[in-house]
Amino acid sequence: MADGIRGPGLAATQRWMQSAILDPYAPGPYAPGDVVTASRRLSARERLRIHQQGYRLRLAECMRGLHPGSAHLLGREIFDGFALAYLEEHPSRSPTLAGLSDGFAGHLSRTRPDSAPGAEREPWIDLLIDLVRFERVFSEVLDAPGPEDGAGDAPPLRLFLACAPVHAYFTEVRRGRDPGPPAPRPVRLAVTRRDYTVVTRELSRAAYDRLHSHQEDAA
Amino acid sequence: MSEPRLGTPRLGFGAGLRTPHLPYIREHLPPVGFFEIISENFLDCHGGRRQALEEITDRYPVVLHGVSLSIGSTDPLDSGYLRRLKRLADDVDAPWVSDHVCWTGVLGINTHDLLPLPFTEETLAHVTGRARIVQDVLERPLILENPSSYVEFRASTLTEWEFLARLAEEADCGLLLDVNNVHVSAYNHDFDPEAYLRALPHERVVQMHLAGHTDHGTHIIDTHDAPVAEPVWELYRTAVELTGGGVSTLLERDDKLPPFPELMAELDRARAVAESVAAVTTGSGHG
Repeated sequence: MADGIRGPGLAATQRWMQSAILDPYAPGPYAPGDVVTASRRLSARERLRIHQQGYRLRLAECMRGLHPGSAHLLGREIFDGFALAYLEEHPSRSPTLAGLSDGFAGHLSRTRPDSAPGAEREPWIDLLIDLVRFERVFSEVLDAPGPEDGAGDAPPLRLFLACAPVHAYFTEVRRGRDPGPPAPRPVRLAVTRRDYTVVTRELSRAAYDRLHSHQEDAA
Repeated sequence: MSEPRLGTPRLGFGAGLRTPHLPYIREHLPPVGFFEIISENFLDCHGGRRQALEEITDRYPVVLHGVSLSIGSTDPLDSGYLRRLKRLADDVDAPWVSDHVCWTGVLGINTHDLLPLPFTEETLAHVTGRARIVQDVLERPLILENPSSYVEFRASTLTEWEFLARLAEEADCGLLLDVNNVHVSAYNHDFDPEAYLRALPHERVVQMHLAGHTDHGTHIIDTHDAPVAEPVWELYRTAVELTGGGVSTLLERDDKLPPFPELMAELDRARAVAESVAAVTTGSGHG
């Protein structure tokens, strides 16, 4: 039961609670029992833990939804570990969840475990990063303005370079299959949309360069 | 307040619009009274999802249900978000926009969790002022929902139902009564859910939600991943009796989505509850 004991004001309460959720092990100005009451069945700390766990479970699930191919590639436990490490450094600042993973590929690039001096470069990390990037591009093209709904003059088009055919892997996972990791092979892709469906085409070097020049001129 | 339910239309019995159900809905046009969309899922999207929404809007009333208004946050209101929300509400001709009596983050962060508020005079004044501003921006009623909650604050001086009643009156806004959330919070905080329902300003209840939950023994979590539980159906009957019927009722399901016809069967049960309450009321009126 609440007891109306004078506590921190609304702003201080919110700063404390958000900090306790985002960083449960950081020392805060109040103990849970100073701010939150116990119930008949749970202590104040246990009740606060529901929010601490719920935050991570919900956003990890959302990240898996945004990156089904990457989650499949790594397996749920490892993917969630990467995703939560990313969110710890980059908590959401957007009202929508669509952009939750905007900085995920960059975070992986900056924190890759083989970046230590003298460490041997691990190809699977390149594959993961390119797959994460591709999944972002796919989502952006899917929801971009386009001529189908009168919101754009031309179909959205994104050019994409990857170290392996990540698009094929992603497509297989979306179809519910269990593909093996794609073998390394540089690919040049055009990601666009036709009749509301995202279409990915592998390009020759010459075609890619022509389209790239055209995009740069248009910009 | 001049009219019950802020003069909003009675939309009947509706369902939350979820992407996996779109093919069925577009093909079969099921007989539901309205659809509710999660506002944030459509704020920035074009393409197929937006086209599907336009198709649905042509055939059904659509209301907006948000999760990021953060009406109780001590951060400033996000004017960019409000502008986009207003544009979406205009696009779908939403008769009202709803969100939760909660906060989702401060210092520019969004936890995407519906976090509870201490029920104090300070909080009441803060939320009331912001609700008035939001209604002015949206140019339509704002309907605020009782969220499920897992903690209570020592500083609270009002009960949740006292807070909601005064908020609705002082902000001149509507209430979205989530019957499942009343059950969840009553279990988690040891209060009487029927007393809660009786204390609300019933004429301000514009919409009701029904949903499923997960019982962990020591606490219940509002998971929206199961059929509506029996105790919630009993509370719903009480809520219909108290509000006098006619309140638009929506079934929420966000996880472990069943085929759409299964949701229709649950909606039929809600309709049957409302009809049986109406029959008893009419019968006693003549008797």
